[in-house]
Amino acid sequence: MGVLGWIVATPAVPNDIGGHYVAAAYIVFILLLLIYVAIMAAKLARIEKGLGEVAEIAEARKAEADADQAAPGRGSEEPSISDSLAPHGSRGGGA
Amino acid sequence: MYGKGLRPLSIATVVMFAVTLSLVFFYAPIEADQGFLQKIFYLHVPLAIVSLCGFVIGGIFAVLHLRRDDPRWDAYSYVAIHISVIFAVGGLITGSIWAKGSWGHWWVWNEPTLVSFLIVFLLYATYYPFRYAIEDRQRQARYASVFAITAGAFVPLNFLAVRMSASLVHPRVFATAEGGLPGSMMFTFLCALASMALLWTTLVKFELSAKSAQGQLKRLRRALDAPSGPPASRIAPEVN
Amino acid sequence: MTPSRAAFAAILGKDLRTELRTLQSLPAMALFATTSFVIFRFGLNRSHLAGSLAAGVLWVTLLFAAVLAINRLFVAEREEGGFDAIRLAPIDRSALFTAKAAALIVYLAALELVAVPIFALFFLSSAASLPPLILVLALADVGLAATGTLISSMAVNSRARDLLVPLVLLPLVVPLMIAATAATEPLMLLGGVSYHRFGTWLMILGLYDLIFALLGYAVFDFLLED
Repeated sequence: MGVLGWIVATPAVPNDIGGHYVAAAYIVFILLLLIYVAIMAAKLARIEKGLGEVAEIAEARKAEADADQAAPGRGSEEPSISDSLAPHGSRGGGA
Repeated sequence: MYGKGLRPLSIATVVMFAVTLSLVFFYAPIEADQGFLQKIFYLHVPLAIVSLCGFVIGGIFAVLHLRRDDPRWDAYSYVAIHISVIFAVGGLITGSIWAKGSWGHWWVWNEPTLVSFLIVFLLYATYYPFRYAIEDRQRQARYASVFAITAGAFVPLNFLAVRMSASLVHPRVFATAEGGLPGSMMFTFLCALASMALLWTTLVKFELSAKSAQGQLKRLRRALDAPSGPPASRIAPEVN
Repeated sequence: MTPSRAAFAAILGKDLRTELRTLQSLPAMALFATTSFVIFRFGLNRSHLAGSLAAGVLWVTLLFAAVLAINRLFVAEREEGGFDAIRLAPIDRSALFTAKAAALIVYLAALELVAVPIFALFFLSSAASLPPLILVLALADVGLAATGTLISSMAVNSRARDLLVPLVLLPLVVPLMIAATAATEPLMLLGGVSYHRFGTWLMILGLYDLIFALLGYAVFDFLLED
């Protein structure tokens, strides 16, 4: 019981002039550092998101290119005669 | 490749800080007239010194930018100044806390070092609105370099002028009546200084690495004709 | 005359002639200074100043009046294409810096010729402080001109240029102000003129002038690049 009392009564930092101020100064330093880390974390998250978008686009393109390759000749862009005679949607129709 | 040395550098920083903090609280003796309060010295002075050196380094990078006409040096200059401004804020706040503990006031004007430091900080704080006000990117980079060089030259001059204007002295911890810092304190201080310098370098590299990643992402987007992402900052120079 | 000196003389002459003809900055500066003195008289509720208060009021007023001129220094160049002309001319571009700084020194000298006697009239008990003050004014003018020209040339190409000059210039001239007021204060003491540390402060002013004049001259080329 006596030991417990002693532990409770001991201050967290030396109580003479300055204990609290020293703690405050070191706490300010840590906080500044952590705020910086938080800001950089937000930046990193944004970069990650951007990379995800770009990866999706790249994969979509790759899938297209593969699909074209898998059916050779069929998708090649030679317009048939009937195609060129048919009215072309918006290209011919618009003012 | 800015991230290249980053891991060993950050590990060194952590180790150095662990060593320093242990020294500060378990090894360095309690000072005679200021008591425990003096321990702030190991935090405040390295913050201030490293930030001032950082400003001068920012000026040197700016000189290199103008001479080599390479936009990367503008980015280095910007980041060096940016990190130094953050350290300066830390230096001012810890200095203020120390002042309150020592003399009972949060701010004192008859403290040449603190006042000089405030003036330098105010000057570099104008770096951001200054960059923001110049729209053309290339011109912004050039003018920012001129600013960084001017401000870098200003730092020592400012300290000289303010020091001469005051008769009272900053806790002359380095030149006390007994003639200097006791060896154990000096050693602890040097470790603290090294820790701050390492931290500064780590953060600069870290920031440059993040900027580089952003730049590479932009390149990718452009190469894939993808829609461009959210607009980048108007002032922070890009790194590729 | 070397081409640089000819260019310097030409630009300086143009500026002074323009100012004489249009009288844009000078009357405004002088009027501003005089009105500021009146405001200080009521703001401080004193009709007599001495020592540090006198030095402070004088130098703060001179500084703010100088900012008026500094703001307008390159406006003509920007609007009428003067920058392009300098870029195209086969001269050392830093001639523009020295010419503009010289013009600014002339404006400041003209301002002080009017404002300082008025200050003495309003607030000082004797004019004994004025002769040594001329030395301080001269050195401070050079420093103010060098730094002001440098900042003005950058601000004129930006948005919010009227805001940029006071914002960036004021911290930069703090050492100048410290030295100028510290040199002036003992000159205006109630007990009579004193030269306490006069030489030291003049040296600091000189150092400031040297550093910023050289810096401005060295760096100005990069500012004019397109």
